[in-house]
Amino acid sequence: MIANLNKWFQTMQISWTTLMAYRLNFALLVLGPALVFYFVKVSLWQTLYIDDTTVLQGFNLKEMLHYQSWSLVIVLLAQSSNGVNLSEDIRLGRISKYMVYPFNFWEFHTASFLSFQSLQFFIAGICLALLLFLDVLIIENLNYFFIGVLYSLLVGLFWFSVQYFTGLMAFWLDETWTMRAVFQIIVNFLSGAVIPLPFFPEWAQKVLVYTPFPSLTYTPIRIFMGDLSGLYQGLLTLFISMLFMIVINTLVWKKGVRLFSAAGM
Amino acid sequence: MIKTQQLVKNFVSYKKKPGIMGSIESLWKREAVTKNAVERFDLEIPSGQIVGLLGPNGAGKTTLMKMFTGIIVPSSGEVEVLGHKPFDRDKDFRRKIALVMGQKSQLWWDIPAMDSLHLIKAYYEISDADFKERVELMAELLNVEELLHIHVRRLSLGERMKLELMASLLHKPEILFLDEPTIGLDLIAQDAIRDFIKSYHAKYKPTVILTSHYMQDVQALCSRLVLIMGGKKSFDGPIGEFERLLGSDKIVSFNFSSEPSRDFFNAFQPKWSDNGLQVEIAISKEELCPFCAKVLEQFEVSDFQTEKLPIERIMKELMMRPELLNDR
Repeated sequence: MIANLNKWFQTMQISWTTLMAYRLNFALLVLGPALVFYFVKVSLWQTLYIDDTTVLQGFNLKEMLHYQSWSLVIVLLAQSSNGVNLSEDIRLGRISKYMVYPFNFWEFHTASFLSFQSLQFFIAGICLALLLFLDVLIIENLNYFFIGVLYSLLVGLFWFSVQYFTGLMAFWLDETWTMRAVFQIIVNFLSGAVIPLPFFPEWAQKVLVYTPFPSLTYTPIRIFMGDLSGLYQGLLTLFISMLFMIVINTLVWKKGVRLFSAAGM
Repeated sequence: MIKTQQLVKNFVSYKKKPGIMGSIESLWKREAVTKNAVERFDLEIPSGQIVGLLGPNGAGKTTLMKMFTGIIVPSSGEVEVLGHKPFDRDKDFRRKIALVMGQKSQLWWDIPAMDSLHLIKAYYEISDADFKERVELMAELLNVEELLHIHVRRLSLGERMKLELMASLLHKPEILFLDEPTIGLDLIAQDAIRDFIKSYHAKYKPTVILTSHYMQDVQALCSRLVLIMGGKKSFDGPIGEFERLLGSDKIVSFNFSSEPSRDFFNAFQPKWSDNGLQVEIAISKEELCPFCAKVLEQFEVSDFQTEKLPIERIMKELMMRPELLNDR
């Protein structure tokens, strides 16, 4: 058990060292897309609100900006870019070394994800502090805030399971980034990361309740904003979705690895 | 130790016509092409041997290695390595083997080799004392003490390959798979790698399976050769037997200060240089000494030498004319 933990810890250390070798690249990778996306959304909503007294679907401008800022914090806490490395490992044949070492491919990538996530957590903390300092955000309730952080980390695990799946697609596809990008856009839209769910037509809201999408952004934002009503349903949805992804990933790995030809090596 | 029976590996790829129309057509119609990379391959390798897998590019050597290490799954047939089915890839099996690929780095590119070695130490659960002892011993043998703390991406190919070897042997594998370990290395680095493998084998007696296009590697290390042509086993036996595969004649070349009489050499399939000052002949072992003495006595010989690497010539001839194997 201790030896096994040591393997995980050493892998995380290697991953930290590698990420730190390219500090600027790492910071840009984590912050770049999230910040650009955030500023686009903020500009969009500021244009839509005529003045401070306008209320749209129960949100005034200040609340909407809070909503979008919490969305940024969740993205920083939960969405890692580990899937890129994973598909490249398969596409470039680096996967062979994990097949020979007595430490599995999924173990290596999960440990790498955890180290990436921990550094990302640190960056998210700095961004949050900055947003609080600039009065763009306020923490309504400290307990809810910690629940929100823990919930977001769980969302991060779900995202990892999805990225693992898209990464494994490299057994079949030469390029997987389009698949990841399309999936990300769909999820961003349906999870309420761009438009809060109350803005959706009623029928769409009813349908979305039965999908994991709202649990990925809308539910944690509500928790951060002081509403715990969706917590249990969100947790249940996340656990079921992750279980589903684990089963799918296991099956996809078994099938994919049989097709693997390690060509050109 | 390693046993295969009727081992087969087929690869399926798809043909695509050139140009944009070809790309569009390939969306709904693709012609599958099946390549038999390894065909009904039987092999048995006992423990402790150093076996060279020889063959031209695409013959199936690396495919065999990948099946032995569990990286790819056989299409049919049986393969057993150290009592395990490699493709099950159980961790117990993986602890007993090591693979070094000359064209692929096993070490982590962006960190010093020592960090990679520490990670490998954890993966193979090597004790601190064993780790220290093995690192010191191998670093000294390979003369890489100074390189351990330099980022791998900054090392030369030869330096990196020495560290790759070191990393793969850290857990004292029972079988070491070496896939072109000296590819692209300069002569000094090639020698260093060969000497290291030789002394490591003498000390720890692991089974070594080697593929290489450099016959010096094979000559220096292997006691047994397996020749693969078109996925099939064409030869399996001691290196001495391989050297005699196309006859037991020795190849001797003479350099002369002045042009000798050509008739004197006609019985030995002579190959003359353009200026007529150099000749290469094929001669039986029995005739070699008396004939050389006569040549030295009768002509002005400035230099002469017997062939150093007969297996290189044999490989070359077999690659150009594989039908020679059928004539045996």
